[in-house]
Amino acid sequence: MTTGMQQGLIYGFMALGVLLTFRILGFPDLTVEGTFPLGAAVTAKAVVEGVDPIMAVILGGLAGALAGASTGLMHTKLNVNNILAGILTTSGIYTVMLRTMGRPNIPLLAHTNFFDWVFMMVGLSSENFSFLQYQVGTILILLVMVTAVRAGMGWFLGTDLGLTIRSTGNNEGMIRSLGVNTDHTKLLTLMISNFLVAFSGALACQSQGFADVGMGIGVLVAAIASVMVGEMFFGHKGLSRLLTGVILGSVIYRTLLAIGIRLNLPAEDFKMVTALLVLAALVLPNLKIKSKKTKVSEKIRLSGCGGDKND
Amino acid sequence: MIKLKHVYKIFFPNTANEVLALNDMNIEINPGDFVTIIGSNGAGKSTFLKVISGIETVDEGTIEVAGQNVTGDPEYKRAKYIGRIDQDPMASTASEMTIEENLAMAYMRGKRRGLHQGINAERKQMFQEALADTGLGLEKRLQVPVRTLSGGQRQALALVMATIAEPKLLLLDEHTAALDPKAAKQVMDMTHKIVAVKKLTALMITHNMEQAIQFGNRLIMMHRGRIILDIGQEEKARLTVSQLIEQFTAASGTAFADRVLLS
Ligand SMILES: Nc1ncnc2c1ncn2[C@@H]1O[C@H](COP(=O)(O)OP(=O)(O)OP(=O)(O)O)[C@@H](O)[C@H]1O
Ligand SMILES: [Mg+2]
Repeated sequence: MTTGMQQGLIYGFMALGVLLTFRILGFPDLTVEGTFPLGAAVTAKAVVEGVDPIMAVILGGLAGALAGASTGLMHTKLNVNNILAGILTTSGIYTVMLRTMGRPNIPLLAHTNFFDWVFMMVGLSSENFSFLQYQVGTILILLVMVTAVRAGMGWFLGTDLGLTIRSTGNNEGMIRSLGVNTDHTKLLTLMISNFLVAFSGALACQSQGFADVGMGIGVLVAAIASVMVGEMFFGHKGLSRLLTGVILGSVIYRTLLAIGIRLNLPAEDFKMVTALLVLAALVLPNLKIKSKKTKVSEKIRLSGCGGDKND
Repeated sequence: MIKLKHVYKIFFPNTANEVLALNDMNIEINPGDFVTIIGSNGAGKSTFLKVISGIETVDEGTIEVAGQNVTGDPEYKRAKYIGRIDQDPMASTASEMTIEENLAMAYMRGKRRGLHQGINAERKQMFQEALADTGLGLEKRLQVPVRTLSGGQRQALALVMATIAEPKLLLLDEHTAALDPKAAKQVMDMTHKIVAVKKLTALMITHNMEQAIQFGNRLIMMHRGRIILDIGQEEKARLTVSQLIEQFTAASGTAFADRVLLS
């Protein structure tokens, strides 16, 4: 349970990033499959080189932002299709990771990790912790961090700049007609999103104690599943609910996975099951809820139009 | 205010489907003019407005807006001076965002957008006042997503959005065509009022000949990418719909065959 919770919060950063591109900007950014392990690789390399873990995790995130910029520039300046731009960047990232790490993986168990460092900074020595204490401690750290990021995003998306990002996803022609260069908003969003994803990868590497070039496989589908769980339970009630919902979605998804592992369910099937669930979640509502949805919007329409009843 | 010199716009050049959408367009429009534009389908009316706003680039010729040569400027740069509304009520507003968020974005037209909150008490007050002028009660519904508004309400909001940041120029491409008659009249009356109060230069495409005669101080008719009629204020005041059709037939050499409303 606690492992699921911890993982859910770590992957929550990624879910927020994926929400930003896929859902808010309407940009299916596949870069994240590469950005996630890139964040881990850069962090691991930095730690091995003697950088302190907090700085290392931030460097991991910044590497992700650069990857996002690469996809963004390819798409906006070179007119490469959005999905292809993400695939090209991801492919390039694998080379960058292997060159950075010098090999496919780096173990970090011998180094003080991010969480130990934070415990130390608040005057605690994690060596004396029981396993449960340690787990709860890391969850608290993550909870504070993810809450701060969530609040920051909520605030940012309400600023003049944030509004342009949301409207670029909603009606690009309209916001351009109001004087916004949508190439810039896309680039900025991709950088923020990939920062969050790489940051998520960096924290995953710190919590697992290693970085591996293969650790990005399937993380995108899992993040999409988390976003969907979040939307299902908490979405459609405003942006701020959605941000919180996506984090909770990630926690729910990872907790379910952890339970599955506890129950000795075959772990090799999880990715297929996730993919099928996402597919079902995508297809089913379109078939079923359509009739309901129109009813709801009709209701709003009727109750909302005091002025022109005769229309 | 606007000056087009020898403007050409060709779609699918050097192919069998080549379309000469603008064929040596020349026009000068003075500050404060309210020009109505009519013409048969495919005459190039929308393209004319699109090359002014920068949605389409020109193949030849120059465009000046407010004394500046904007021919090579992208749309987002010209947007500083130009407010526009499309025929499609979905096009000019962001449906998933609230009324106040839409207005906040419109209010920042041509200004630097930074990390200030888009909505604050002062702006809310201003938005409410601007919406109250429309007389549709929208000022009480600032936090409602725009998708829940009727087409007429959306176009009314679009009109407020297009003009709240005091542009120099207002471009209207059949902005009441998709509305039912009652909503169309409301939006048209509102347009008339805002253009007069804010002393805007405005260009309005319409398929309604009566509307074209009734509003504005100048009427132009387009055909095959050119202006074939240009009628000033005095002549326009005496003009009737049937005279206008006669003049069209004489000037274009074809009968007026399209979806023009002769109401
Ligand atoms: N994006 C485009 N690509 C190709 N052809 C276009 C494009 N836009 C317009 N055209 C063509 O250019 C010509 C002029 O079109 P335009 O939309 O300006 O006409 P219009 O006068 O606005 O007509 P309507 O009254 O039907 O709105 C038409 O033949 C049209 O098919
Ligand atoms: Mg048109």
